[in-house]
Amino acid sequence: MREFVPAGEQRIRKAEGILSVLGVGSCIVIVLYDEGSRLGGLAHVLLPDPTYSSQSDRRGRCATTAIPDLLDELESAGAERGRITARLVGGACMFQELVSESQSNIGERNVDAARAILAEHDIPIIGEAVGGGRGRSIEFDLSDGRVVVSSQGNSDVEI
Amino acid sequence: MKDTRGLEERQLDALKEVANIGAGHAATALSQLTNRRIMIDVPQVQICPIEEASSAVGSGSGVVAAVLMHVLGDLTGRSLLIFQKDCALQLSDMLLNREPGTTKVFAELEQSSLKETANILTGAYLSGLSDMLGLMLIPSVPSLAIDLCAAILSATYLNFGHDRSYVIILDTRFRFEPGDPGMSGHFVLLPDPSSLNVILKTVRLG
Repeated sequence: MREFVPAGEQRIRKAEGILSVLGVGSCIVIVLYDEGSRLGGLAHVLLPDPTYSSQSDRRGRCATTAIPDLLDELESAGAERGRITARLVGGACMFQELVSESQSNIGERNVDAARAILAEHDIPIIGEAVGGGRGRSIEFDLSDGRVVVSSQGNSDVEI
Repeated sequence: MKDTRGLEERQLDALKEVANIGAGHAATALSQLTNRRIMIDVPQVQICPIEEASSAVGSGSGVVAAVLMHVLGDLTGRSLLIFQKDCALQLSDMLLNREPGTTKVFAELEQSSLKETANILTGAYLSGLSDMLGLMLIPSVPSLAIDLCAAILSATYLNFGHDRSYVIILDTRFRFEPGDPGMSGHFVLLPDPSSLNVILKTVRLG
């Protein structure tokens, strides 16, 4: 079973099925996986932290709130925090020449925020496909924990 | 004003009319450039949360060629010209005087011709608005991306929004006639929230 995770939302699954996201641009997708329990989760995040938006109640929108929520959700489902690893996908900048120097691009800031919050929770990042100028699509296979990233004009890569 | 429910019916109608005038001018320009008949749909005005914005225009999973430009002057925001990938390839054939079906990839010349087309079409769109509203509008240089529509839309809203909570979308679909459904695209205007009020004030509905 394949489930698409819309922006601002997160899903967890155990041992079977695929979590997928199509067309990640500046957004960042955080994939968490505990190999021991084969529990995994995916968060599709839009912004670094709630200061970027006037609606602070949407926790799934920002990396600083979505990642701790996803970790908690995995733990209550039976994952062991010490075994959870992370992979990051996204944070591209697609219209580089229109992004002014003073406002460093949001994709980059999303990546930075996700890395920082994962470090804070002692979750190692074992794979990344971030930055650059192209959007990405992701397939996270819960049966073996594999994450495959595809992107226009490039061949698929596993991270 | 968080969604279209916050706008009165007549304000929505006015925004649709604004989009219609702009898109009408752009369609005329595209028609003259390509010597084809161009049809435009009734514009859609949406104010939606950024989570939903990536699927607000067209089908998010299709590959498109999109040209983004900043709009500056009395009204600020962005314009996005979106061509379905097939449409962009066929358009390149027309613009570069090639046999139909010749263009297979977007190399430098094709990319440059698409950007130039966007310059012309956005210029026409904005001059339509300018005449109608009596505002001074200036487009920036264009930037092109060829990617999944969802990635392009979300990157646009996230990188350039001021308040990144919701997004205002004036979307007008156009298509070549006669033509297959793939020969279509969108003229999209994304006014900043403060500029929405500027538009509504100039049509005396703000």
